[in-house]
Amino acid sequence: MSRYSFSVATMVGLLALSSCGKDEKPYKGAGAGEEPEATSPEPNLRRLTRQQYLNSVSDLLDPGLVMPSALEPDESADGLLSIGAARSSLSPLGVENYEDAAYDLAEQAMEPGSVRDRLIPCNPTGDSDDACARQALEDLGVLAWRRPLTSAEIDDLVDIAGTAGTTLGDFYDGMELAIGYLLQSPHFIYRVEIGEGGVFTDYEMASRLSYFLWNTTPDTALLDAAAAGGLSSADDVAAEVDRMLSDPLARRGFRNLIDEMLELDKLEGLAKDPDVFPAMRSEIGPSSREETLSMVEALVFDRDDDFRTWLTTRETWIDVNLAMIYAVPAPSLDGFATATLPANGPRRGLLGQSSILSMHAHPVSTSATRRGLFVRKTLLCQSIPPPPADVDTSIPEPTPDALTLRERVASHLEEPFCANCHLAMDPIGLALENFDGIGLYRETENGATIDPAGDLDGVPFKTPEEFADVLAANPLFTGCMADTVYAYASGHRPELGETDYAHWLHKRFRDENYSMMALLREVATSETFRTAPEVSP
Amino acid sequence: MSWHRKNGRLILDRRTLLRGTLGGVAISLALPPLEAMFNTTGTAYALDGILPKRFGLFFWGNGNRPERWIPASTGVGADWDLSETLQPLVNVKQWLTVVTGMDVKLPNDSPHSSGAAGILSGASLGDILDDNSFTEPSIDQVIAQEIGGDTLYRSLETACGGSTGRSFNGPNSKNPPENSPIAFYDRVFGPTFREPGDTEVDPKLGLRRSVLDGVLGQITDLKSQVGSADKARLDQHTEGLRDLESRLAKLQEDPPDLEACVKPNPPAAEYPDIAGRPQMDETNQVMAQMLAMAMACDQSRVFSHWFSDPVNDILFPNAAAGHHDLTHNEGGDQPGVQEITVQSIAAYATLLEAFAAVPEGDGTLLDNCAILGCSEVSLGQTHSILDMPILIGGSACGALKQDHHHQSLGGENASKVLLSLMLAMDINRTDFGTNEGFVDQPLSALFV
Repeated sequence: MSRYSFSVATMVGLLALSSCGKDEKPYKGAGAGEEPEATSPEPNLRRLTRQQYLNSVSDLLDPGLVMPSALEPDESADGLLSIGAARSSLSPLGVENYEDAAYDLAEQAMEPGSVRDRLIPCNPTGDSDDACARQALEDLGVLAWRRPLTSAEIDDLVDIAGTAGTTLGDFYDGMELAIGYLLQSPHFIYRVEIGEGGVFTDYEMASRLSYFLWNTTPDTALLDAAAAGGLSSADDVAAEVDRMLSDPLARRGFRNLIDEMLELDKLEGLAKDPDVFPAMRSEIGPSSREETLSMVEALVFDRDDDFRTWLTTRETWIDVNLAMIYAVPAPSLDGFATATLPANGPRRGLLGQSSILSMHAHPVSTSATRRGLFVRKTLLCQSIPPPPADVDTSIPEPTPDALTLRERVASHLEEPFCANCHLAMDPIGLALENFDGIGLYRETENGATIDPAGDLDGVPFKTPEEFADVLAANPLFTGCMADTVYAYASGHRPELGETDYAHWLHKRFRDENYSMMALLREVATSETFRTAPEVSP
Repeated sequence: MSWHRKNGRLILDRRTLLRGTLGGVAISLALPPLEAMFNTTGTAYALDGILPKRFGLFFWGNGNRPERWIPASTGVGADWDLSETLQPLVNVKQWLTVVTGMDVKLPNDSPHSSGAAGILSGASLGDILDDNSFTEPSIDQVIAQEIGGDTLYRSLETACGGSTGRSFNGPNSKNPPENSPIAFYDRVFGPTFREPGDTEVDPKLGLRRSVLDGVLGQITDLKSQVGSADKARLDQHTEGLRDLESRLAKLQEDPPDLEACVKPNPPAAEYPDIAGRPQMDETNQVMAQMLAMAMACDQSRVFSHWFSDPVNDILFPNAAAGHHDLTHNEGGDQPGVQEITVQSIAAYATLLEAFAAVPEGDGTLLDNCAILGCSEVSLGQTHSILDMPILIGGSACGALKQDHHHQSLGGENASKVLLSLMLAMDINRTDFGTNEGFVDQPLSALFV
C-alpha cells in the first residue's frame, strides 16, 4: 500500500526535515479559499474499535449492562488505532470473543425488567411470536446495522427468534439468539461505508459523522436525518455537525481522538522502578491520563482556545497524585479539579505533563531519544526510521567528565551516521531533561547542572518553557494536528491525491485562529469526507 | 480392558489402548473392533493407536549472551553438557535439542522486528516504519493450519508480562495471546469444558451454529462489494467463524475420555505487579500447567506462549533496569542481562517440565510434542541475527533426536529448523520461507 504522510514523507535525515519546514511556511495573507478536489483512496471496512464497540452496544441496548471485558485488542497503524481498525484482520479468538460478548449482552438485555420492556415493545403470545419479534427487531436492527434492514434480513432474524423460542421454550430466550445475530453480523462489527455513485450514502454519512465526532453508533436523530435524505449536502451535514459538537458526546469523542493520538492507554500499565522513583505510585499513570484528557477537553470545549496553547497553557486539571509530582498545592483532596501552574515556572503545556514525560522514558531513567521521537512522530507527523540493527546503541554510564545525559549522548551527534537521525530527536528530548522519568522537576543530574538549551530546526530555545513556545509556533505542529484529525476521521493518513486538500485544511485551521472546534467541523463538513471513490473489487 | 456405557453403547475405555503404545508407536496389541475404539465424537484421538503430535512455541525477547549460551561440545546424551545459560534445563535435558550456528539470512532492517519475522516466519517484515505486521504467517499458525483442525481450538496463545506476541495468520492478521491466567482457564476449562461422561448437550449449541451460518452468509455477500484487501480480511474473519462453528459441533458430541486429561484447578484471579514488576515466574508457572492440560485433554494441538516480547522493557525481579534498556546500556559482560536470560530459560524449563509431568501412553506428553524455544535476536546489544538461540523440547513422537546439541558450522539458514519441525509434525512440505529466508532442505541431523 502506498502511504504518504503528508506534512513530511518518509524522512531520512535532518536536511530533508528542515527543508520541509520551509515548504510549509509561505501561506501568509490570502485565506484558504474553496476546498480543492481530492483523490482519496478507496473506502474500506473499518472494524469497530474496542471503545466503539462498547459505546455502540451500550447505546443500542442499555448503558447499564455489564460490558464484556474480553474483546479483540485494537492494533495501532500509522500511529492511530483508527487506522489499524481499517487494516487489521480479526483473529479466531476475536471471533470467539464477539460471540461470547453478543450472547452475554443479549442475555442481560432479555432479563425481565425495564430494558427488556423498552427493547420488546409488545407482549409475545407464545414461545414464538413472529409479529412481536418483527416489531422489535426492525427497530433494533436499524440501530445495530446503522441502516434499515432488507425484508430478507428481517425474515432471517425473525426465523432465528422463532426457531430458538420454540426450541428453548421461551420467547425471550429466542430473542437472545436474534440479538446475538445482530451483534455478530459484519454489518455491526464493521462500518460498512463503501459509497454509491461516488459518494457515501446518507446512512453511511450518519455513521461516519457519529463515529468521528462521538465515537459511537448514530443516534435516532442522525438515522432519521439519513432516512429523510438529509445528509447529502454540505449545509445539511453542517446542521447535524453543529448539533453533534454541542452535545456532551462530542467531548467523549474528542478525548478518544487524543487518547489514540498520544497512545495514553499505555499509562494504565506504567512500570517505574520504585527504588529510582520513590514518588511513583500505581495511580500516577491513570491519573496523568485523566489530566491530559481533561485539560485538552477544557481547552477545546470550555474555552475554544487557540489550539497552539495546548503546548503552552498553565491551566490544567490535577488530583493529589499529580499535585505531588508537580510540587503544587492540590486543588482538591477529593478527585480532580482545575489548577493553574505557577506563572514563569518551568512546567506548562502538554510536554510538562507527567503522562507524556513518563511514557517516553525508561523504567529507571529519562530518554532524550524517546521524547524527541514522540515530538517528531506524534506532534510534527514526521517519520524517523529505526536505527540500523547492527550498531551499538548503548549510552555510556555517567563519568566525572560526563555526568548529564546531554554529555553522555553526545556521541550520537558526533558520529555522522547516527547524527543524521539523532540530531532530529535528541535536542528536543534534552530540552525536557529538567523533568525526570515520572515528570518531577530537577535542576541537576548526578550533581551537575542540566542544560536544556537547544534548537528546533534552527529556532533556538534556552529553557523548557521557551521550547514550548518554539514548538507551538512551528507550522508543522498545527499542520500535523489537521492531518491527524483527518486521519482519525477517515481511517488513513492524507495520501498523495489528498495533498492539496490537506494543505487547504491547514489553512482553514489557521483562518479559524486554530480553533479545534472549527477544525472538527471543517473536516466533518468537507466534500472530501463525503466522497467515496468507486471500489474496484 | 475396561468398557463403559455411553448413549446406550458399550465403549472401550481409551486408556486401555493408549497403554499399548510406546513412544508413539503401537506395540503388539489386539485391536478391538474399530467402532468400540472411538468415542462418539469420532475425532479418533488414538487413531491406529498413535498419539497425536503437538507443536508448541515458547518465545522470549531480547536474545541471549552467545558466549554463555553455546554448549562446549556437540552430540547426543553424555557427549554434551548444558552451557551456563541452559543450566535451568537440567531436569529435562533428556528431551532437549539445542541447535546452534543457525542464522536468519533475511535483511536486518528493523532491530528486533526483522529478527522476529525471520525466525518465526522465514520472511521479512512488512514495513519498517510501521513494523506491526509480518508478511507471512508465523510457524505456529502454518502448523496449526495443517494439524489444528481436529480439536476444539486450532491453536491457543498465552503470554506473560503483558506481552502481545507475534503469532500471525498473515499480514495484519495477528493472534492476540491471553495474558490473564484466569481468563485462559475460563476459556479452556470453564463452562464449555465437559468431563468424560457428561452427556448433557446445551440445546443452544445448534441454534448458535445456525446464527453463525447466517453471519457467514452475510460475509460472503459483503465480499462481493469490497476491494481485495478487505476480501482478505473477511476471509480471515470467515476462518475464525468456521473454527467456532466446528468447535460448537464438537461440543454437541460426547467429550473424549483421555487418560492423561485431568481438569486443572483454577488459577488465582489476579497476579498484580509487585513494585512495578510483573509476576513473570508465577504467571508462567500456571500458564505452563494449563497449556499442558489443554494439550493432554486434546482441546488443541498447537500453542504459542509468549513469555516476553521482542524489545520488552519489563522490570524483572532484581533487575536494575528494564530488560531492553539493560541489553544496550549495561556495561561489561552484562550480568543483569544474563540473569534475565537465565530466568527466561528457566521459564522454558518450567513449561517443558509441566509437559514431562503428564504421563501419556508409555511415555509423557512431552514425548509427543515438539516445543520450539526461540528469541528474535542472539546478542541483544547489537541486534545480531546470527547464531540464533534455538531450542526444541520433545521428539514429536520419536521423530526427532533428543538430548542433543547440534552445531551448524556453516552458518546455515534458520528456516531449515522450521521446515524440519513441520516435517517432524508429518506435514508434507518441501520448502519454507521467502526470499533470503527460503529453504528447500531440512536440517537432517535433527531427525532420528
